[in-house]
Amino acid sequence: MKRRKTGLIGIVITVIVLVIIVIVSNLETNQMQIAQTVVSKLFMPFQNGYVYIKNKITGDEQQLSDIETLKNENLGLREENSKLKEQLRELEILKSENNTLKEYVNLKNKYADYTTVPANVIERSYSNYDKIIIINVGKNDGIAENMPVISESGLVGKVLSVTDATAKVQTIIDTASTVSASISTADQSILLKGTLASTQNLKATSIPVEASILQGDDVVTSGFGGIFPKGILIGTIKDVVNTQNELDRYANVNPATDFSKLETVLVITQ
Amino acid sequence: MKKFKGILIIVILFLIIYFLQINFFSWFTIRGIKPNIFIILVLFLGLFVGKKVGGICGLIFGIILDILIGKSIGFTGIFLGAIGLLGEYFDKNFSKDSRVTIILMTAGATAIFEIGMYIVNILKFHIELEIVAFLIILLLEIIYNIFLVIIFYPGMKKLGYYLENIFKSKKILTRYF
Repeated sequence: MKRRKTGLIGIVITVIVLVIIVIVSNLETNQMQIAQTVVSKLFMPFQNGYVYIKNKITGDEQQLSDIETLKNENLGLREENSKLKEQLRELEILKSENNTLKEYVNLKNKYADYTTVPANVIERSYSNYDKIIIINVGKNDGIAENMPVISESGLVGKVLSVTDATAKVQTIIDTASTVSASISTADQSILLKGTLASTQNLKATSIPVEASILQGDDVVTSGFGGIFPKGILIGTIKDVVNTQNELDRYANVNPATDFSKLETVLVITQ
Repeated sequence: MKKFKGILIIVILFLIIYFLQINFFSWFTIRGIKPNIFIILVLFLGLFVGKKVGGICGLIFGIILDILIGKSIGFTGIFLGAIGLLGEYFDKNFSKDSRVTIILMTAGATAIFEIGMYIVNILKFHIELEIVAFLIILLLEIIYNIFLVIIFYPGMKKLGYYLENIFKSKKILTRYF
């Protein structure tokens, strides 16, 4: 019985540790404010209690003359609050729908030269080493293999395979993906590859010796390779890493698309 | 009929795990790193039910995963199948009643599966080798899998012995008579 109880406590502790690790490991510095709010909310009742006792001792306690009136008022306010919450929920739903439609319209306008099909991301790869997504359009919508996929911000990837209603998309951040690109300020062509080290980083290789690359330069598709049309924004140069051999130098590129928040895409069909 | 019930349980388990892996663990991550609970499932099938069921289930689950969301079809099946076979080897050589050995088995199975898959990806897609980044991801994935095994070990053991009873009941009888 004691052993069973110990085992149960062990499991509970492991769950708590895991949850803490997950939360802390995903926190960004600006998100610490949320943690501060949570901690402050946890400590607030104790703080209030302390102030109440302190006031009582010092005689500053406010006298509550009509408790019944306050109770009724409280009830009314609660009802009003629940109604407002309901309205807020409805507004949130409308806002989200509106945002999705706006994204579609913006995307359509931005890439008006191409015939496109809008789609939503419905699944992401389960593996830590693949960056594949599934979208909710397929053969029935005119989607075929190797069609380019873009987002409002820039290039997403290419269609790997299709079923009647879905398509598998290999994103440009996948380690097996290679995209021929060029720097907006020059004509030289470079190669962009996904890396394991970061999901928001591309490695630019095969940089010509004479090419001058600067931090902040835009990187766009070169049009070579026959899959991606020329001129679609891929990202910006983050930094250039010079090596002893100039042929081996490479640059880190920050993709224009935020793949962790990617939800709406367009498939270029023509 | 009993075996049918066992197969049904395995199918339901796969569906639950698929749903968890794709949805829940896509955001419940350790620095963006997800666990791989398919490895845990197949390892446990191999451990409790035997290499035949473990291997076949691993192969089928892997092929399904490759079809649904993989870059190429077949390799996940081969490696998950191998983990299923490895499960029985572990069962014959180590105790599955000890939490420590189960943790070590999970760590070993995760490492074997992911290293194998990475080598195949390098050879097939000519991916650039990134040893440090790969080892960091692998280490976090192993830690995450170990956490999950510690949490779900009692339930998995119970279900494991139930399935073992269904699939191996005849063999146990012949040992005694």
